[in-house]
Amino acid sequence: MTVLRGLTRFWADRPLALKGLVVVALPLAILLGALVLLYAASNAEVRAEEDVRRAVAIQRDTYQVHALLAEAAAGVRGYALTGEPRFLEPYRKAEAELPQTMQRLDEAIRDPEVRGHFNRINDLTVRKREGLKRIVDLADDPAARRGEPSLIEQALVANKIVLDAMRQEIDLMQRRESVLLEQRRARVDDVRDRFLLLTAISALVGLLGSLAAVYLFSTGIVRRVRMLEANAELLARGEALTNLPEDADEIGKLAQRLARASALLRGREQALRESEERFRLVIEEVRDYGIFALDRDGTVTSWNLGAQRIKGWEADEILGHHFSRFYPDETRAFLPGEMLERARTAGTAEDEGWRLRKDGTRFWANVVITALHDEQGELRGFAKVTRDMSERRRSEEALRVAREEAIAASLAKSEFLSRTSHELRTPMAAILGFGQLLELDEDALDPRQREAVSQIMKAGRHLLALINDLLDISSIEAGGAELENAEIDLGELLQEVHALVAPVVSAAGLQFSLQGPEQPLIAWADRRRVVQVMLNLVSNAAKYNRTGTMVRLSCRASGRFVRVEVEDDGPGVASAEVPRLFTPFDRLGQQNRSRIDGTGLGLALSKRLIESMGGKIGYEAPDHGARFWFTLPVRPPATKRGAGS
Amino acid sequence: MTGSLVAQSEIHARRILIVDDEEANILLLSSVLEREGYGNIHTTTDPTAALEAFIRIEPDLVLLDLMMPEVDGFQLLEAFRRHDRPDAFRPVLVLTADTTIAARRRALALGAKDFVSKPFDVVEIALRIANLLETRILYERLRAGPA
Repeated sequence: MTVLRGLTRFWADRPLALKGLVVVALPLAILLGALVLLYAASNAEVRAEEDVRRAVAIQRDTYQVHALLAEAAAGVRGYALTGEPRFLEPYRKAEAELPQTMQRLDEAIRDPEVRGHFNRINDLTVRKREGLKRIVDLADDPAARRGEPSLIEQALVANKIVLDAMRQEIDLMQRRESVLLEQRRARVDDVRDRFLLLTAISALVGLLGSLAAVYLFSTGIVRRVRMLEANAELLARGEALTNLPEDADEIGKLAQRLARASALLRGREQALRESEERFRLVIEEVRDYGIFALDRDGTVTSWNLGAQRIKGWEADEILGHHFSRFYPDETRAFLPGEMLERARTAGTAEDEGWRLRKDGTRFWANVVITALHDEQGELRGFAKVTRDMSERRRSEEALRVAREEAIAASLAKSEFLSRTSHELRTPMAAILGFGQLLELDEDALDPRQREAVSQIMKAGRHLLALINDLLDISSIEAGGAELENAEIDLGELLQEVHALVAPVVSAAGLQFSLQGPEQPLIAWADRRRVVQVMLNLVSNAAKYNRTGTMVRLSCRASGRFVRVEVEDDGPGVASAEVPRLFTPFDRLGQQNRSRIDGTGLGLALSKRLIESMGGKIGYEAPDHGARFWFTLPVRPPATKRGAGS
Repeated sequence: MTGSLVAQSEIHARRILIVDDEEANILLLSSVLEREGYGNIHTTTDPTAALEAFIRIEPDLVLLDLMMPEVDGFQLLEAFRRHDRPDAFRPVLVLTADTTIAARRRALALGAKDFVSKPFDVVEIALRIANLLETRILYERLRAGPA
């Protein structure tokens, strides 16, 4: 069994060329064998027939020997009796022919038994001929004729005995020859039978060999090729292949390559299917976009969840219907066709307008139709993406209203601030104006009146400062701060501020040091407002530094910002007070209020100003004294706010 | 005022029209002007009567408040310009409690020759008024030809 399997394996692994050779050579070899057998068989028959012919010739010659001698003997007797020479005719014929016949027999005889008889016959023949010769001689001898006739008699009798012995021998020999002939005939028959059998066997083997070859081909190679073909068919249909034995011949290799190709193809197909599935799921599950397909005429062929949600139709209600039913009456006649035509010619068509839901209500839609082409560039249909813009339209509307309201509110606030400013300043104008007039003519006043005017002016100025700061803060908070941002040179600005505020600082008995930038330092800010903040910080330092010796104003680059610092060596700010530094009216150390001028709004205003310019302001406590800092952006921010416009 | 091209007396003799809806402001400005020596001062607290006064009085200088009911200062600026000769140099000094840049720009664009925020310094306002009048007088002299 193992051997058989091994052989099968061996056979299966041979190359096709060898198999073809074997398949063709096997019947040929069988045919050749049959021919050889045929030749041998016909040879044997010929030989057997030869033997038969020879046997027949032997019998014939043997009879002839007997006949010749018998006729010679009869003639001789006749001669002896009559002396008539014509009786010697048979004797002479025998004398002439016998040697040849004996010669033929000698050559023809093969069988040892027959040869034994032949040898004896030969001896007898010789004796007979001698006997006959003597008789003839005796008959010719006149003496003998006249003499004892008994000598001839005796010779005749002796001759007769030899002839009898010979006849007997010939009979024996003939019998033997007959047996031999029988045997030979039987052999010829046998050979003929064998030949017939061999022919039959050859035919059978040849047939079987052909059948085997056909079988080998059909069951081996053809069957496998068919299986291969079947696999190829499966491959073409994208189905799983049948497992074929992994033979090492060309078909086996082809089968393996086919299997590999199939595996590869199936892998790709799987990936494609998965990707397609994912894609399909994504499309189907998209809820915010109606995504569906149209055929070339505009009939709906696919429908996703988004389309269902937006338009209201279930897939099975809309598939197979023309997409023009999504359009309201006023556009249905022309717009759907126009959209398809535009998509056909330009590849895509977009539109924004009213569309219908299943229940007949309208929604504002953004629609994109894209033409779909196959690989040959043939139009296959259209993909349509619909977005419900109603929400956005509503929110845009709401936004617009809100913006308008905000603008109105802002305008109202600005208007209010403007009016407030006017209402507060107008009486202040009268108070301060008349107060100033009184001061100008103070010679006409007595000391108490002078002191009263002075107090009125002082309180009035303070009130005016308060009003100014308050209006400033309000206007910044209303978004109406009039910022005039531009590129400003900080070094120059510091110089200017230094010059402006130096008298105040030195009046406070402090040293004012300036530490400008080493290189030109540009910031994006409103020059007037920056000066305002710097003045505020420096004058604060001068005001509150009652114990120290100096105020320092400095400035440097800090990344995308510039940083300005105002530092003094005064008492600084108590850490508990720091969080309230930039709160309106929260002047530190209420006990100092009587001694120090100010509205209590300076830092709060500075904070708002700096922040409205995109910077930051803060306080940090150095080892000794106080340090206020603020930053300003180097460049305008990417998105400019509408503030100040 | 020293070194002026025009005599003080000539300046002080000029007609000045003050338009302001606030009585106190009119009083203040009048006081300042009288203290300086001006003698030809006309005033009105009714903006609707301002144009009529402007035409009738033909002032050499107008002190104009911006924020007034019914007819505001901007409208009056336009009206004054419309009813005056194109070549007349009749300066208007705007006085307002509206400190916004927008108001300042608008007023100057409409032909105001100067702009002062309220509250103002009385000395400063007197100097500005004198300057404007002096300019007007010099302009008149120029137009009249060489003296």
